[in-house]
Order: sequence, then C-alpha cells, then structure tokens
Amino acid sequence: MIKTLNIQDMRKKIGTAVDNRVRIISAGLGLTELRAVMRGDPPTEKPNPRYKVHTTSFIFHIRPRYYQAGSTILTNTFRLGFFTTLFFIIESITGVLLMIYYTPSPEKAYLSILNLMSNVPFGQFLRDMHRLGAEAMVIFTFLHMLRTFFTGSYKKERSFTWLTGVILLGVTLFLSFSGYLLPWDQLAYWAVTIGTSMAEAAPVGGNEINLLLRGAPDIGANGLLRFYLLHVVALPFAVIGVLSIHYYKVAREHGISLPARFEEGDVPPSEVKEAKKRIDFIPDLFTSEIFWTTLGLLILVLAITVGGYHAGLETIANPQVTPLDTTAPWYFWWLQGMLKLGDKSLMGIVIPTIIVLLLIGVPYIDRNKYRSMWRRPWAVSIGILAVIALVVLSYMGLLSFGIESDAATRIVQDLAPEEGVGALREVPYDQLQPGVYVVNETATKNMCPQLDFGCPEFEAFFTEYTRRINEAEAAGDLTNAETVLVVENWQQDLKKVTFRIGWTVDGENKTYEHSIFIHADRINE
Amino acid sequence: MAKENKPPAEETQIEEIKINRREFLNIAWLASLGFLTLSLGGVTYLFSIPRFKEGEFGGIVNVGTVSDVPRDEAPPENNPKVKFWLSSTEEGALALYTVCTHLGCLYGWRDQEDKFVCPCHGSQFHKDGQYIQGPAPRSLDRFAIRTVDPDTGNVLTESTDGSPLQLPEDPEAVIQVDTSQRIKGDPHA
Repeated sequence: MIKTLNIQDMRKKIGTAVDNRVRIISAGLGLTELRAVMRGDPPTEKPNPRYKVHTTSFIFHIRPRYYQAGSTILTNTFRLGFFTTLFFIIESITGVLLMIYYTPSPEKAYLSILNLMSNVPFGQFLRDMHRLGAEAMVIFTFLHMLRTFFTGSYKKERSFTWLTGVILLGVTLFLSFSGYLLPWDQLAYWAVTIGTSMAEAAPVGGNEINLLLRGAPDIGANGLLRFYLLHVVALPFAVIGVLSIHYYKVAREHGISLPARFEEGDVPPSEVKEAKKRIDFIPDLFTSEIFWTTLGLLILVLAITVGGYHAGLETIANPQVTPLDTTAPWYFWWLQGMLKLGDKSLMGIVIPTIIVLLLIGVPYIDRNKYRSMWRRPWAVSIGILAVIALVVLSYMGLLSFGIESDAATRIVQDLAPEEGVGALREVPYDQLQPGVYVVNETATKNMCPQLDFGCPEFEAFFTEYTRRINEAEAAGDLTNAETVLVVENWQQDLKKVTFRIGWTVDGENKTYEHSIFIHADRINE
Repeated sequence: MAKENKPPAEETQIEEIKINRREFLNIAWLASLGFLTLSLGGVTYLFSIPRFKEGEFGGIVNVGTVSDVPRDEAPPENNPKVKFWLSSTEEGALALYTVCTHLGCLYGWRDQEDKFVCPCHGSQFHKDGQYIQGPAPRSLDRFAIRTVDPDTGNVLTESTDGSPLQLPEDPEAVIQVDTSQRIKGDPHA
C-alpha cells in the first residue's frame, strides 16, 4: 500500500515538474490550460494566463490581445494581409536556402541554377517554392490593397497605415523584379534590360538611376551583383522595417476595421454590440492562424508536387541576341501596355508617377466620411474602373497585342519558339522522318507508313502547321501561300527541320525560311 | 496555497474530459503543420548537405594503379589536393590524413629520419602513422582505402578500419581512397 502511494506521489511530482517547464516555455500556460486552449474552453486559472502571454512572450507581444468579433468575419478581410506576411516568411526561408548554391556572377549564376535543378536534392523544389511564393506574395499584396480600398478601411486614423501599405506594394514589386535577373537566363537579362531602360526616360536623373542600378551602361557583372544585394539584403530589410510599422499600426493603434455596416447604423444595436464583442487572441485567433498557415503551406507544396508548377529557365543570357518574344513579368504587363500607347517618358514615367501619387493620396483625396460601398459611389466606381483599366492595359501588354510581326514569322515562332519548347520540339525524334512535306498537298494522315506505329505526334504537328497557314491565308495575311516543311538527316543523331513559307505581296514573291536543329538526346520531348 | 489544492481536482477532471470536435481539428491541423515542418526540415537537410564529386576531397579519390604505389623503401607520397599521404609499409598501403592530430598543422616527411614530423609542436609519427613522441594525443588519422578491378569495378581488397591494405597481384588494379571516411588514430598511453 505504501508502495502505491509512493508511485502516485512521484507521478504528481513529475507532473508538476513537466507543468512548470511547459509554463516557462509557453510564458505562463500550463498543461491543463493548453488543453483548454485547444478545446476552446474558458481559461482554467485566474487571473487569465492567456493575457499574460502577450506581455511576457516576444512572439505574442506584437499580436493584439483580442480582436473585435466583427473584424474576424472571413469575408471582411479574407486573411489577405496574413497570407501576404506568410508568403514573405516563406520567401525569406527558401531564399536563404537557395543562397547556399547561388553565386552572383555572370560566369557562375546560370551554372549554379543548372546545378540546383539537376544535382542538388530538392533544389528544383525549393526554387519552385521560392518562385511560386513570390508570385503569390505579389497577388496577395494587390488583393489586400483592393480589399482595403473597397471596404474604405484607409480612412481617418488608418490613412498612415495605407501609406505604408502603398510603400510595401512598391517594395514587393521591386523585390520580385530584382529576383528576376538572378538566374541570368535570356528571360531575366532582357526583361530587366527593358525594365531598367524605362528609368532612362525620366527627364531628370534617369540616366543616373540607371547607372546606379546597373553599375555600368548595360547589365553585366556589376548589375547582377547590385540586383542580388538589393534582392537579398536591402529590399528585405525595407520590407521588414515598413511591415513592422504597418502591422504595429493595425495591432496596437486602430485594429482591423469592422465591416462598415456596424459603424454606420445599418444593423440593429444588438448586432453592433455582438460585433464589438472581444474575441481573445488565445485561443480562437491563434488556432485559426495555425489552420491558415498549414493550409497556405499545403497549397504551395501541392501546387508544385501535384500541380506541376515549375519555375522556368531559358538559355543562358546572351547580351548579343534579343529573343523574339521578350516580355516583362506579368505584374508589369499593364506598364508594357501603356508603353505601347505613347511616348516613353509620358507613359513610362509621368503617368506611373501620377498613379503612385494618386494611390498615396487616396485617403486625403477621398473626403467622404462613409465607409459603406453604397454610400461612396464615386470611390467605388473609380476603383472598379481602375481595375478594369489595369486588366485592359495588361491585355494590351501581351505579345499578341499591337506588335506587328508578319504572319510567317509568327507561325514559325509559335510552333518552334526561340525560347521554350513548342509543338515541333515535342514531336519524338523517331517520328521526324526525312522528306519534303507540302502544306495542303501532303496528306496529314498516315504520313509515315514505314514506321510500325505511325507518327501521330508529327501528324498532329503538321496538321496544326497546315491549320495556321490556312488561317493566315483566309485572313489575308498570306496570299498565294506556298509552304513546305523539310526534314533532313543532318548528322548522326541530328536532324534539321526547315520551315519555308512563300507568299506574294503586290505581285512580288517573298519567302521566309527558318531552320531548327533537333538532336536525338535533347531533353524536351 | 489555493493553487496547491487545485491540481489534483483538475487532474481527475482531465481524465473525464473527452476530446471534442474543436480539439480534434486543432490537433489535426497542428499535426499537419508539424508533419509539413518536419518534411520541409528534411528537405532542407538533404538540400543543404554538401555532395562531393569523385576525385574531390570529401569524396572518393582514384590514386592510381597498384604499380604506382611507392614500394616498401620509397618515401610516402603526398596528395595535397585531396589531403592524404599515400604510405606503403610491409603490411600494406595506408592513406594518412595530412593534418596533425595535435592542433591541425600539416606535418611533413623527413627522409633522413624516416618519420613524419609536425613543424608546429614537434609531434613525430612512424611511416605507418603510429605515434612516436610529442604533444599529439593519438596516432595519425587514416582514410578508408580499397583496390578495385579496373575492368569490372569489383572491390578486390578493402580496409575500412584504418588497417594497412593488402595490395593485390594485379598491377593494373585501381586504388581508391574514400576521403569521407576518416578513421581516428589510436590514442597512445
């Protein structure tokens, strides 16, 4: 009997010892209390230990003790700011890891990416994660700003928070853009060349800004190093600094805004009272943040592993050759679209500056005291118009818009692009049987009777080629088209595929010829 | 004092409380987050751990063929890039790590004295790496060494415990040193 008593005694002592340790780590929450947090039960001790955490623990001291019930409604915020921050943290972690294998010099940068993708375990995964996280961060920053605009949450005491938000949007875009150059492939080199050239259009100091960014008249070793330092040191520090101010304002000064209906008397007082009820950070908001974090991470990982998202890599940067389809990153398509509309200084510098100033000025321009969308028709219509303008301009920024390239070049570039794979390179090597294939004469069925299983991919490709030519002819872009595709055995394991398109303009004959060499051991099939 | 009375009451309570839906979900999400973090931690480890190419220090190094090995009387041969001395004794060949076991200096071979001497604090070692005298705490460290058939790649003889490697008859057999496997020398009395 004495023995059993002892065991119970020991159990109790061990329990207390563990409990004490846990309390030290969790800044005051014991085991029983932690279980109650998980269950959503009221606090088990008095005074409420869940408040003490907010003064004693570093991580929790920057978080508010409670939110107002109304501000936690999902459709009020969509957790957009939370996700933006989450993606920034993911970017920081994956970014530091990628730095292990990256060397910022023109000789080594591209090779280090190749090494990362082919030789380092999970190298491609982490690169994809970093790239996808960056895209997500840009998207969520933008959506977060839209949400704030449409719910009128930038008004009064929140105007300074809005300003820091606009700065964060700019820094986020620049962060993403500066990372663009680092792989040192053709896409990187030329997208950044175009981007920095826009600064040149500035009437004052444009040339100096350009020199500061590139470290030379054109992008080279100095430019790469400067972009690298901006990307990994200067801009992340800027984000951390401004984000701290941004979040501190939200957490400590004015809180997340309530939906307008609770502030403007559209609902009965009892509902307002309900909406202003406090929801303690621990347990409800804390556990919900764990949920959102898990979900965000899971979606990122699944998009890469199951969804097949991959960060692209083109051929190594070549300052002597601009590839045919050079584009800016998608979040700058609107700017590219504007540049097609007019003068470089007006569209590339003056109007963007005005847009930025307008964005910063939103809280001061909009003197309407209401926040409900129905009571601010002007602001909401302008907002919707701005979004539509952005979409239209982005569409105009696409390659297919407004750039005159003749039909023959376009067709060949689409089927066998200078960068990337395209329909031709997807045809298996064996199916490229030597011969002269004449569009609209050679039958697109049973093209290679000498092969046991035929050549379905090659037939599909040739059908597509025929379709594109006929389409262009019907549209009047190619008159009297005479088109052939020639496949030749060029060397051992090397075939030469030639596109030859002839047409007439005003009775004059023109030809476009383009050859692609395809090796048996190439990687894309 | 009230605290001390409380815990027993709570303890009995815990055993009675059944898991509720919210607790289950919270645990599920926490567990998923833990699982994700662990997996990504594993990814980070595999990503960060360096990989060595053949012929580079930290990987497997082809030293040459059996006929290239300095025979009995000949002095040991230094391979500074891959950091070992190839030394041959009556018992067989050894790959000795070029770093002194005392404080990390590089020792050298004294042909006249027929021993290794460290220039920093004067530790001395026999040709087979055995400690003679000086402040070094143990004999020289060795690398795993083996001979492989040049045609088939099969391992002919192998020493993974730092003992001298018996050289096969075939003069064309290739000697390989695994510089990732360092065997610490025996401490002296």
